[in-house]
Amino acid sequence: MSRHKHHQPCRELHVVVLGAGGVGKSCLTAQFVHNEWIESYDPTIEDTYRTQLQVDGRQVVLEILDTAGTEQFVAMRDLYMKSGQGFILVFSITSSSSMSEIEMLREEITRIKDDENVPIVIVGNKADLEDQRSVPRQRAFACSQSWNAPYYETSARTRTNVNAVFIDICRQLLLRDEKYGDLDRLSDDRDYDKDGIMGLGKRKKRRTRRPDGNRCVIL
Amino acid sequence: MSSPATPNGSQQDLADEQPQAPPVFHNFLRAFYPFHPSYSVSDSSVTLPLSEGDVILVHSIHTNGWADGTLLLTGARGWLPTNYCEAYDPEEMRNLLKALLNFWDLLRSTSVNDSEIFGNQEFMKGIIAGVRCLLERTDCLTRESAIIQRHEGLRRGRKSLLSELSSLVKTAKRLQETQRGMLHSAEDVNDIVDEMILKAFRIVTKGVRFLDVLEEDRSLRAPAAVTVMDTVVEESHVPPTPPADLMGFEEQSNASDVSSRADASQASSDLVLPCMSDVAHAANAPVNKRLSSITTMSASPTSHRLSQNINRLSGISHRVSLAGPPPLSRPQHLVSERLNKSHDAFLSHLGSFIGRLHLQSQSRPELAFAIKLTATSGGDLLAVIDVVCSNTSSSDMLPRARDSMFDRIQDLVSSAGQIIHDAASQEEDVIMQQDNGVLLLAATGCVKAAGECVAKTKWVIERVGDFECEVESGSLGIDLSVLDVPFERRPSVATSVAGSTASQATSVAGSCRTVESCSSGVQRLRTSSTDKPLPELPQVTSPVVDETPDLPPQQESPPNTRPSSLLHDESLSSTVSSVSSLRPTLPPLPKLSTSLLPGEDYSPVEKANQDTDFQSSFQSEPGTVSSAGSSATYHSRDSESSLVSQTSTRATTPDHTMGPKNKPSMSELSNGGSSTQAEEVDDVECKLLEKTYAYELMFNKEGQVTGGSIPALVERLTTHESTPDATFVSTFYLTFRLFCTPVQLAEALIDRFDYVVESPHMAAPVRLRVYNAFKGWLETHWRDETDREALDLIEPFAEHKLSSALPSAGRRLLELAQRVSSEGSLVPRNVSSMGKTNTSIAQYVPAETPHPAVSLSRSQVNALQGWKNGGTMPSVLDFEPLELARQLTVKQMTIFCAILPEELLASEWMKKGGVGAPNVKAMTAFSTDLSNLVAETILQHSEVKKRATVIKQWIKIAHQCFELHNYDGLMAIICSLNSSTISRLRKTWDMVSPKRRDMLRQLQAVVEPSQNNKVLRGRLHDHVPPCLPFLGMYLTDLTFVDIGNPATKQLQSAGCGDGAEENGAGGRTVVNFDKHTRTAKIIGELQRFQIPYRLTEVPELQEWLEAQVVGVRDGDQGNVQVSYYRKSLLLEPREAAPRTPIEGPSGGSGQRTGDLFGWMTRDRGIAPVMV
Repeated sequence: MSRHKHHQPCRELHVVVLGAGGVGKSCLTAQFVHNEWIESYDPTIEDTYRTQLQVDGRQVVLEILDTAGTEQFVAMRDLYMKSGQGFILVFSITSSSSMSEIEMLREEITRIKDDENVPIVIVGNKADLEDQRSVPRQRAFACSQSWNAPYYETSARTRTNVNAVFIDICRQLLLRDEKYGDLDRLSDDRDYDKDGIMGLGKRKKRRTRRPDGNRCVIL
Repeated sequence: MSSPATPNGSQQDLADEQPQAPPVFHNFLRAFYPFHPSYSVSDSSVTLPLSEGDVILVHSIHTNGWADGTLLLTGARGWLPTNYCEAYDPEEMRNLLKALLNFWDLLRSTSVNDSEIFGNQEFMKGIIAGVRCLLERTDCLTRESAIIQRHEGLRRGRKSLLSELSSLVKTAKRLQETQRGMLHSAEDVNDIVDEMILKAFRIVTKGVRFLDVLEEDRSLRAPAAVTVMDTVVEESHVPPTPPADLMGFEEQSNASDVSSRADASQASSDLVLPCMSDVAHAANAPVNKRLSSITTMSASPTSHRLSQNINRLSGISHRVSLAGPPPLSRPQHLVSERLNKSHDAFLSHLGSFIGRLHLQSQSRPELAFAIKLTATSGGDLLAVIDVVCSNTSSSDMLPRARDSMFDRIQDLVSSAGQIIHDAASQEEDVIMQQDNGVLLLAATGCVKAAGECVAKTKWVIERVGDFECEVESGSLGIDLSVLDVPFERRPSVATSVAGSTASQATSVAGSCRTVESCSSGVQRLRTSSTDKPLPELPQVTSPVVDETPDLPPQQESPPNTRPSSLLHDESLSSTVSSVSSLRPTLPPLPKLSTSLLPGEDYSPVEKANQDTDFQSSFQSEPGTVSSAGSSATYHSRDSESSLVSQTSTRATTPDHTMGPKNKPSMSELSNGGSSTQAEEVDDVECKLLEKTYAYELMFNKEGQVTGGSIPALVERLTTHESTPDATFVSTFYLTFRLFCTPVQLAEALIDRFDYVVESPHMAAPVRLRVYNAFKGWLETHWRDETDREALDLIEPFAEHKLSSALPSAGRRLLELAQRVSSEGSLVPRNVSSMGKTNTSIAQYVPAETPHPAVSLSRSQVNALQGWKNGGTMPSVLDFEPLELARQLTVKQMTIFCAILPEELLASEWMKKGGVGAPNVKAMTAFSTDLSNLVAETILQHSEVKKRATVIKQWIKIAHQCFELHNYDGLMAIICSLNSSTISRLRKTWDMVSPKRRDMLRQLQAVVEPSQNNKVLRGRLHDHVPPCLPFLGMYLTDLTFVDIGNPATKQLQSAGCGDGAEENGAGGRTVVNFDKHTRTAKIIGELQRFQIPYRLTEVPELQEWLEAQVVGVRDGDQGNVQVSYYRKSLLLEPREAAPRTPIEGPSGGSGQRTGDLFGWMTRDRGIAPVMV
């Protein structure tokens, strides 16, 4: 049962950006997809959120779903989450409620995907507003550890770490691709697993295999 | 094979080391040295002869340093060497230059409807404002100004500038009349447009001259400023006036030898000098602005990449007054600068050498020459590296790299030498193709070695710090004489080449080289002393004294094997010529036809063109300039580089219709036949004195406003010459509160009302427009809560200023102001919204169409009645899906139609819980409620079969919504049916028929969010109302327009391109109107659908619907999604059967056995950590 997806020339990755309204997640997306040389930005065209990039020497097409502005359509989140393979969960370091929101979102993702290991990147945005910080790094680190998801602090305004976030999620998805066979076996095990403790152990194993040892990137 | 590999390509190796600033594209260049390709095998139909001081509008710059440009003086277009030119962008001229650019873009753009542009005089404003700005900044706005009074030359210059302007204005009027069909002359619009472009050029030329005279005056009167430029004082008086201006058109002929050039410039200075003898107020005269601004520029770190020649060596010292090297900071002396420069030079030599290798065989002399150039420039690079080496002792890494590079160069030279020898011994003139491989390898090796070496050098420089140095001539230490052997048969070539190579070597060496020291005509060879070397230039341009020996290789060259695809008519056939494949050292210049210039003889000549791309894409219509090239190698002002070649008909036709040979002279053109010249000049002067902000507007290529200061936008809003553009006006009214306060708008309008009085001829219409602008605001766009404070300005204005000018208007406005202050807004605002003004509603909603009959049976009515009287509530299953869908649609549409445009601005619905956007909020709330209702009604049944029936019912309702084009309702229902809560109920779904599931799948595809809602967008595009679009899509678009586009823009100035920070003077911050236009466009699109359905509202059903929704909302405590999911788990617990864990087809049904809420408790477990 070996699927060598990495032989395919161009992998298409679907990533969903989620977070409370006003955390600047759309700034991240806009920053990432917007070619600075184009004078004005038109979000109504089909390719707006598709971009081609190179991750670890592999060409991928990244399609970003960011439904900024529709946070109030609560019931539609489910649909959006379903369409994503990887998730970027954005909170603002100046708002602790936005942190709680992504904790809730994470729950929803694991529920909907029914998978504890969905590729996720945690993003603390507005890192340039350090003086207004109300989410201590410890809290973000704790999430990062328990979810086994890297944590980045970004600033869309100063364009800090913006690309890194998207590259990281792509890398996770590609890695997952490569381990697909692996994972299949692991998840077969998991189905006989009655509690979550084993799962945690496995996560740790996975983690050591990651090429980038550093999981938390602050500025 | 396209053009030769250019330095840019190979530079990319270094990009990691040192991110290059993006090259700045200069729209205008000025020749500081004459360029007259005057060798007998003339190239002049390709290249553009330049006289010193000529100003050129640049269309694109090839990376090899040749620019496609139009000479303003004549309107001739052609290729010119950028190393003979410098950027031209004096502050005073900036607005005029920018206006010319816009004018050019607009007039030659084919994407714009002519009648749209020329229907009014709007397009003329930029030029007029530009001239005004020039005069204003130079304190010469009025005839009475002190400077004008004092200086006869300036007075004349000003007058001729104004008469030129008046002539253009006149032509523009004539065009307008032609457009209106008032003149039925055979005059082609294109002819007039061509004439206008030429006249606009002429205006700029005169402006340049005017400024030059003024600069002279200033520098004479400001000795203090002059002393700053220590070394160049004595030279600084030579005016950079275009020679033609002084000598007249006919005298513009080529001074093909240096001495006569010198005489000419001497003569020109003599001519101007008397005008400048007035040195009365020397002490307090203004500092020479231009010079200082140039100084700043050349100090900027990016300048080494520019094709401008500000950093050029001070060798040609008599031109230094134009752009002298800054006396203190001399970046070219910094070792890093030298390194970059010599590396660039080396690479460009190698690049064009390699490029030619790819293309064809070459003759021995060419090869020898190219190798020499390459080797010499390589030697210069090595010399710089040696200096760095000697300044660091850290490692032997650099010396090693240096040695390897040296070896590579030696390889190249020796293999080339070998090949030349062999060829000589076999009496062959042409180097065989098979030898090219060897050379290619050697040359590529050089590129690579140089890249490594330079990278390491940079690393070292970074370590030790940049330092200044004087680099001696790069003595390579490689015997280049091996290359000379075969020249014995053509001695004169040998000497000429050797000579130029020698001077090449010296020229690179240092800053002290002077032109005068060069013996022959080679001094025009400025190649390696410039930032962007044009290696081949020397041979092309240098007037080789004894030319004949140079020719044989060309004549002997093999005939062109490719069929020439040039199409040209007879008039061109004399200038455009066919192609031969071999041409020694000319860079691959695209060919284009230019006008006949005075004093030059054209004859059909065998032309060289080495670039197949050029040939194949070459189509020359009558009078068309074609300059297609491989677009990747161009820096072009146009984003679509194809524009350059395809749409430039207008640019060059003047050459033929109005070339100086056909019509006597340009000056006659502008002055000719006008007996009332003086009056018109006065007229224009009058116009000039009008206060205007037109130069603070920005346009896109379609002529739409994309940016501007508030006064400029207000001026646009109240333009007197035409009815303002509808999109502009509606955008303005809709969005102005985002960029100015209502008080500011009122002030700007009143200010406009005031300052227009200075221009009597338009005061009346403009004042009426100001009144109309106020009226429109108060009548249909008033927002009481924000705009009220502006009433304090509007009322007094109406009462006094307006009433005294236009009494009835004043009364009406006052009345309006009083009404809004008592009633708030006067009209239901969503009625007057912009989207609807554009489309005729009647078309979509024929009032006669009867409403479809209500699909409600008697028993259903009875059931509703029973419920109202306290009986049981009917369920969703008790009604027809069609009627339910209709009632849902009616309900949603009512809310949708109530959405006001301002709710959609600036992410208002996201702020403070959406208090500023009640209807948007209601809309989203209803969607969510509907979704929840779907889940609730399904999950309330414990029997599988019952649940399946409800699911089927909802699928049918969704389908009916789809049929009604109610995409918002469709989205809500589909989302719920597809949610993990519902979709995981496998037993239930098994009971839903495949047909229904298929229907669901199709409906789901419609609302699929992938590719930016591609499917939905496709459906909504051009959709005829009635239709209820998915609101969320607009909300996302609006959010991204708001976030992705900055609120302000930098007003670009000509010549600066994007490098606004380069000199602060260029960038004035203005409103990014483009952002607001986009916002307004999206809102307009939404408003297009704010048209009610023609459906009968059934009050009983509406009530029932409301009750259902309220029931769901009441049960909604905390996170409904979680409670529904819990319910779902209870109804159908997780199954043991293992399934594919990731992305199961139905979105994952449960796999985990045991603990039902395991996923929850586990996550809760980490909660304490996070608090």
